[in-house]
Amino acid sequence: MADADSPSDGGDGSTDSTASTEPATGDAAGEPPTAGAVIVPVEPTSTLRSTIAHVADAAATGGAPAIHLVEIASWRNGDPESDERAAAAERVLERAAAWTAADLDDSEAPGAAAVEVVTAVTGAGDYLFGADDYVRVLAEYAEANDADRVVLDPEYTPVGNTTLLQPLEFALSNTSLSVETAPVDRPTRRERFRTEASAVRLVALFGLSLGFYFLLGDPTYWFDAVTGVATAAVVSITLSRVSLDSNPAIPRTPMRIARGLVYIPVLLFEIFKANVVVARVILDPRLPIEPTMNRMRVIVGSGLPLMTLANSITLTPGTLTVRARDSDLYVHSLLPWAREGLFDGSLERWTRFVYYGRRSARLPTPRERDDVAILQGDDATEELPIAAVDGGEPGSVSGSEPSDDLTDADEVTDR
Amino acid sequence: MSAAALETARVWLVVVLTLLGLFFTLVSMTGVLRLPDVYSRAHTASQADTLGAGFGLAAVALTVGVAGGGFKSVLLLFFIFLTNPTAAHAIARAAFEEGIVPWTEGDDRR
Amino acid sequence: MSLADATLVAGYTLGDFLLVAAAGFAVLAVGMLYRAVVGPTMQDRVLAVNVLGTNTVVILAILGAALDEPTFFDIALVYALLNFLMAIAISKFTVERGGVL
Repeated sequence: MADADSPSDGGDGSTDSTASTEPATGDAAGEPPTAGAVIVPVEPTSTLRSTIAHVADAAATGGAPAIHLVEIASWRNGDPESDERAAAAERVLERAAAWTAADLDDSEAPGAAAVEVVTAVTGAGDYLFGADDYVRVLAEYAEANDADRVVLDPEYTPVGNTTLLQPLEFALSNTSLSVETAPVDRPTRRERFRTEASAVRLVALFGLSLGFYFLLGDPTYWFDAVTGVATAAVVSITLSRVSLDSNPAIPRTPMRIARGLVYIPVLLFEIFKANVVVARVILDPRLPIEPTMNRMRVIVGSGLPLMTLANSITLTPGTLTVRARDSDLYVHSLLPWAREGLFDGSLERWTRFVYYGRRSARLPTPRERDDVAILQGDDATEELPIAAVDGGEPGSVSGSEPSDDLTDADEVTDR
Repeated sequence: MSAAALETARVWLVVVLTLLGLFFTLVSMTGVLRLPDVYSRAHTASQADTLGAGFGLAAVALTVGVAGGGFKSVLLLFFIFLTNPTAAHAIARAAFEEGIVPWTEGDDRR
Repeated sequence: MSLADATLVAGYTLGDFLLVAAAGFAVLAVGMLYRAVVGPTMQDRVLAVNVLGTNTVVILAILGAALDEPTFFDIALVYALLNFLMAIAISKFTVERGGVL
């Protein structure tokens, strides 16, 4: 990503190493003459231990008043299993705090005794989707606790399987906080693989691919059985970290599948019903369409639920998901009728039903939540963010655009 | 007697499903040819065509039955319902990132 | 005996009907070909080819049923996979920033 090389334009400018991915070991450790506290976002990674050692050392020599170990919740309070995940996060924080305290005790630096260690879980009140959301939570926390520095663990990936570090660093460089990636040695790819792969995922993916192979082949024929096992082994070993982003769990996964089976006929009926309406419009000689681009903020969680919702929206005629940016879906609608149906949010409720159960499905519609915007046409409430969608620019997606960009984009179209 | 009636019903169900499939594919083609910009064309490409293919494949599954490999047809059906919207999304998103402005009323680009 | 051999009307079997239907799908596919050739944008072409591919899958499956050739289903399955990959890959690489999916 080229963005990481651009000079940081925010903050005090005292740390220019902010946006670089590989800070030199020497200057990062001895540099900080800061007065504010340090924030360390914590996840159970393989480099957490060395990150903490680095932070403790830097804080002791630099005279920081406190080290805040913060776990940003990737769950939301009230969701199923949120209690268990919160408890797991607490355990990680406790261990991290113990390490920090031990490192400070061992430190020779005069300031070490004065450094306070604080732990916190934050962000559980909201669904967090991408780097921007995480940075917002971190910035609020920093504001509340007089912190001005963030040290990132190089392996920090709060969402699970996606690499968030670079976008996170970039988004942080636009705040007043100074950012640094802890200069610790990353373990090699191999080690990391071994630590992160989970047996449950491996077995689940192995069973899934073997079942698929046998469905197409003949399990009673020895050749198919042998090649099937070999293929499934290769697939599950290479791809189990990629294809599944959370461990299948016993009550949850079957329940989701069962509720998904309820959802499929409903979705099929919706698809058919709406297809008839759209077919009538398309076959109409006057072609009475009124296409607009719309934005809708959805509350379903990231990953698989978001994909389900986006694909359901696309399958339902008259609406097409063009872009999913964090929790904002950019949806192109062909007819005002389809747009209104979208804003009523029945698909969003169904997705929540499938993934979180009946209790979570009760929710005000996006229109009532005021989470919708029309970006084109006479009823437009926001401008089309066509030039701001390059994925690198945090914040202002829905901000105003100079009209030059729109004419430029028109020229592109005419090529 | 009743087996024969069942077979007749199945045959005519296949005919109806195939005709529905043809109809929605026709809608999809009309849409792709008539609609003004890539986004609205993606609508029919992803939806009407998915439904058309769905009906066609359902007819095939009903014709050959489970023993004749009908489960492969059902598998195809699921696969198309999963991949078609994803592909349409990828294409529309590529268009959006290229900076193609969606057509609105009054735009003379066709 | 497969259902494709069942008589529909006036001596014509369901298999005959399915062959005609497959021809109908092929005719519709030719219509898409216009969009694939004319464009005007790259995305239009990818879209048209993607729809063409879906059509091909359906034609293959219908032929498999009509001619009683179960191997056609396997070919259709592979074709569907490749078709999906094609759409994703071209979308990804026509955008300069390469950030699609």
